[in-house]
Amino acid sequence: MRLLIVEDDAPLASGLQRILEAEGHAVDVTPRGEDAVLAAANEKFDLVILDIGLPQMDGFEVLRRLRASSPDKGGPTPVLVLTARDAVDDRVRGLDLGADDYMVKPFAMPELTARVRALLRRSQAHGGPRIAHGPLTLDTVARRAFLKNEPLELAAREWAVLEVLLARVEKIVSKEAIIQAVAGWGDDLSPNAIEVYVSRLRSKLEPAGIKIRTVRGFGYMLEEFK
Amino acid sequence: MVAYYPSIEPATQAYDQALVDIGLAVGSHVRVEQTEYRFDLPPAVEQVLRTDRFDSVYYRVISPAGLEIAGDADLPAPPADGIAHNTVYNGKKVRVVSVQAPCGRSTCTVLVGETTVKRERLAREHLLQSLFPDVMIALATLVIVWFGVKRGLQPLARLSEEIKARSAGDLRPIDAEGVPAETRPLVGALNGLLAEVAATSHMQQRFLADAAHQLRTPLTGLQMHTELALAQAMPQDCRTQLEQVHRAAIRTARLANQLLALARAEPGARSANADLDLKSIAGGEADTWVRQAVSRDIDLGFELDSARIDGDAFLLREALSNLVHNALEYSPRGGRVTVRTGRRNGHAFLEVEDDGPGIPVAERSRVLERFYRVPGTPGTGSGLGLAIVREIAAGHGANLAIEDSPAEGCRVGITFPHG
Repeated sequence: MRLLIVEDDAPLASGLQRILEAEGHAVDVTPRGEDAVLAAANEKFDLVILDIGLPQMDGFEVLRRLRASSPDKGGPTPVLVLTARDAVDDRVRGLDLGADDYMVKPFAMPELTARVRALLRRSQAHGGPRIAHGPLTLDTVARRAFLKNEPLELAAREWAVLEVLLARVEKIVSKEAIIQAVAGWGDDLSPNAIEVYVSRLRSKLEPAGIKIRTVRGFGYMLEEFK
Repeated sequence: MVAYYPSIEPATQAYDQALVDIGLAVGSHVRVEQTEYRFDLPPAVEQVLRTDRFDSVYYRVISPAGLEIAGDADLPAPPADGIAHNTVYNGKKVRVVSVQAPCGRSTCTVLVGETTVKRERLAREHLLQSLFPDVMIALATLVIVWFGVKRGLQPLARLSEEIKARSAGDLRPIDAEGVPAETRPLVGALNGLLAEVAATSHMQQRFLADAAHQLRTPLTGLQMHTELALAQAMPQDCRTQLEQVHRAAIRTARLANQLLALARAEPGARSANADLDLKSIAGGEADTWVRQAVSRDIDLGFELDSARIDGDAFLLREALSNLVHNALEYSPRGGRVTVRTGRRNGHAFLEVEDDGPGIPVAERSRVLERFYRVPGTPGTGSGLGLAIVREIAAGHGANLAIEDSPAEGCRVGITFPHG
């Protein structure tokens, strides 16, 4: 994948670059917002990591210009905003202008790589029919699932629950959100029914090392595959 | 009292006139035989003269030459320049009047005295009669003044109520509408001061935001490069030292965050409150907390019910994050931590319960102080977490309580006042 880092703090920028290159991505770095806008206009990046506090043209302006130049081929480029400020309105502004996710400094390396992976996966899901998670692959067009390249039998409701969880790896999905996503109109799904589907999914996926964590009183979280 | 003396005067004169009449009557009984003065008062007449319903009457007749003719010779005469006076006779207060009565070709002096029983009685009655309206008028005036002043000062009382009801962080100008004209300059001066304080605190907040950026970015770099270095092969003693650096970096970053939160929770620095749901405040940060809980092998659960309040979302998230962080930090591996929001007895609340070691009762008030840590506590806390939570709770008029949880550990809760 091709990534662009826009960060004026040199040690932080080089650290990010090394981490993401270690994940197997091609990474470009620029400390200036103007250069970032220019680069994004000429080349197609799979993800932009953008610091808000840049000298001269700040991150908000860069984001606005990135979003203003129409998305050409393959949908809009996802943007992960980094901010040292945590005032609520800063976050809202970032997301309103079309950032896909934000991280407040300082953050730990595993959290950054998890967010980057999630964003890349989401943008791929927009473009292609296949969703991958470790040894698990979902072909959303043919509606067929594979585990370690072996076909995996999934009932329709199990498929729907898994799809919701896969769209938000490492994030808690509430039971209500699952019910809303899974139940068709007129269906009456109880939270207990969701528990049943999740436990069936667990018995099929856990032998392959894919874990669905129960968050008591809240919902479920598909853990990052390790 | 003012009406007393003028009104008693005519009455005194009337009583004196009666004494003068008696004097003239007595005088008419003096006869002159050649050079001798004779006084001849039939006992029946004397009886009539001397008798009165209330008072004793005395008289004394003196010849033009100053010789005693009849009567009570020791009755004191008025001074030379007066015709009436008050004096004491036989141990009683008496009023004595001097009358010039014709006798022969000359005039005799007749003194008539009378005890003052009915005069005093009259005076008392007069006093009461004239005092009663005075007292009533005074009372009525008091009542009118009381209500008048109270009514007149009502706008001032409203003003001081408004100022008293303000929270320390409320720096909006005071509404000058409806305050008395005399106090307008005062309200104006107060508003000027409030505006200056608000401007100063706004500048301070901007400085803090800048300071946050300046601090956090290099700390992120430090943390990241330590993590990168730790991912490489190296001698064990190097690794141990680098792990110390890494922990210190994380701690410093957290401390910077906490100091910022503490400064922002301070009165005056707070942004305006908004209508919010405690459930979504707790739900919004759940991902981050669950990841922390997973790494410490703790079962983090939620019992979230909707509870709308007026509050500062950033600060409440910070408060709850601190409580959850504490619970995760001090619970043993495999422990159980529960985050709750909702309403209890009509009060919105949020609380975090754990089954960790708890906080001894004796330490509970001290842990709310800045930088205080319970002696012997493991982990890397700065001792700021609960101080921040207390500050934030106070800013919302809410109550922070530390209790034993039913599951042995500790339950720290914030209960909000209204709504």
